Amino acid sequence: MSSSTAPNERLLRVPGPELALHWRSSRHARRLLTLSVAGVFIALLARRPEFAGVAAPALLLLAGGGSGRTQRRPARISVRVRPSATRAFEGELVALDVRAEGHGDSHVRWTLHPGPDIDPGDLTAADGPQARFTFTPERWGRRQIGTMDVVLRDRWRLAEGHLTVTLPKLDCYPAPADQRTTVVLRRLPNRLGEHPARTSGEGIEFFGVREYVPGDRQRSINWPASTRRGRLQVNTFAAERSQDVVLLADATSDVGVPGSSALDLALRGAAAAARAYLEGRDRVGVITYQWGGVSWLGPGLGRRQLYRIIDSMLASDSGYARGASFRRLPRAALPPGALVVVFSPLLDQRFVETLRDMRERGFTLLVVDVLNDEPPTRWRREDRMAKRIWRMEQEAIRFSLRELGVPVVHWDGVQSLDLPLAAHTRRPLAARR
Amino acid sequence: MTRTAAIRGAPVLLGAGLLGAGCVAWAAAPLVNSGWAGFALFLAILGVAAGALRLVLARVPTPEETYLLSAPARFWLKFLDVLRLVPWEEGALVAILWLEVLHPAPPWHTAVLGAALISYLLVTHLAESGASPEALRPQARVLAIGAGLLALGAGAGMIPAVGPGAGSALLRLVAAGALIAAAGLVLPYVAAPAPPTAPGPPGSPGSWSSGRGTPGGR
Repeated sequence: MSSSTAPNERLLRVPGPELALHWRSSRHARRLLTLSVAGVFIALLARRPEFAGVAAPALLLLAGGGSGRTQRRPARISVRVRPSATRAFEGELVALDVRAEGHGDSHVRWTLHPGPDIDPGDLTAADGPQARFTFTPERWGRRQIGTMDVVLRDRWRLAEGHLTVTLPKLDCYPAPADQRTTVVLRRLPNRLGEHPARTSGEGIEFFGVREYVPGDRQRSINWPASTRRGRLQVNTFAAERSQDVVLLADATSDVGVPGSSALDLALRGAAAAARAYLEGRDRVGVITYQWGGVSWLGPGLGRRQLYRIIDSMLASDSGYARGASFRRLPRAALPPGALVVVFSPLLDQRFVETLRDMRERGFTLLVVDVLNDEPPTRWRREDRMAKRIWRMEQEAIRFSLRELGVPVVHWDGVQSLDLPLAAHTRRPLAARR
Repeated sequence: MTRTAAIRGAPVLLGAGLLGAGCVAWAAAPLVNSGWAGFALFLAILGVAAGALRLVLARVPTPEETYLLSAPARFWLKFLDVLRLVPWEEGALVAILWLEVLHPAPPWHTAVLGAALISYLLVTHLAESGASPEALRPQARVLAIGAGLLALGAGAGMIPAVGPGAGSALLRLVAAGALIAAAGLVLPYVAAPAPPTAPGPPGSPGSWSSGRGTPGGR
């Protein structure tokens, strides 16, 4: 996904679409015309030949441009635009290569007008038939890179051909937050993985000592324990299992400053969690809850699953998508015994009810609260009271979830996700019945 | 406009502003009170100042959506629109020439002003197009002929009139016009198009030939 710094010359060799130019006289030509007309007019009116001399250079430049009309002014040119990547993470540098063909001996100038939430690099204008710009997408989503103004100027710079090219769109992924540790369930499914389980098996973490039985490997004999007990003892090791993790992103509320809103934090946190659990060889899936339904992606393994998860979350950004009902989610989307990590500001009462329902169905949930903003208030007594009531309601929601055995941790989006999760990553998470 | 681009274009912008201010000062001093000189001076200062401001604010972006903007933001956008639409430099040119006419200045004074005005226009064009001075190289020979004609015009102005009548002044004008026409006739030979060249020297902005992959070697 990272952008290459070398220009994509092979792709740019392919001719691009031919676009029409709109030629018109330049401001420079109009100014020269004004000077020459004013000079000649004053010379005639005031009968002072030196003003004709003032007009002479401008007249000659205009006449030079007129005699240079034999210079070909192309009506259409071929413009090729290639971004170095069609997908990028927030804050990642992307290059944009542009090339014009069929411009003859006209001078070409490129000016980049970046779209919303696109930060251009140091260079926003360049000269020459081909150029490279760099930019950085600042916020996740399907972003319009912007537009590119192409201006062709003739040799005398008296005529300008203008053309505006709409640049392609870029899929910008939320930049995953920092998360290295993972929450592990106490009861793990019987599937090979990397988390030490509470049963003995073929792992590497010490589990206990038991009496030797025929068939045990000789290398696992614990000689000090055997000496003490007078009988052969062998070491046993913990089995290593993997778990199913379902990330539940709440896309119903987007409150806060754009760039660090609740939805921004939910997506960044979910991306970080997906990366951390996938690196631990867990199967990770995602459910995006929004108005009108849910969209989901079943748990899977591997690095490609990370991009599938982010794509799934971004595809749910349409806001009015109709997905399956939350209650009718198949087992593939929400496997029994899975760890459900929820990223939500907990502002939607229906979503909170859904969490309670899931908990009552036996799922182990962990809620990451991404609400970092409060309703604006004025200094009126009623407003302050309303704000206090709102705060109490929020505290009550979190309290009720904790009472149900759902841990709720708060994440501000700045610090590492490991810090709020530290209390739950030190030991396996037990699901209270 | 990024900071680097702003710093790179600052000398040209400064040059355009200084040349404009110099033209106004050259044409206005000493101050006269006849023929609406004060108004012409006001127009000249306004044109040069607004033209310089237009160049400075040329690359300030304007939002595509202007529906829900605050009143100050709308006023600012309107100001930018007016600043970019009005031909300030043309107005300044006419006002400066008007000021020069009002003065009983010697012809060499007018010739110096003419050279400064042409320089002002060229530097203003470089500033607004972001081009390097190299872009004016094809026009160098024509500008040299223009400078010669400017000097000849000043010389014609300094030749004493053969008689006190209007015909004598007209004769000098016809002579100046004939000179310009003669220069125009030789123009096609002087301003022949240059042979096609490579897109740009290695390392020039926007060129890949430097092998470093980014314009300006970034």
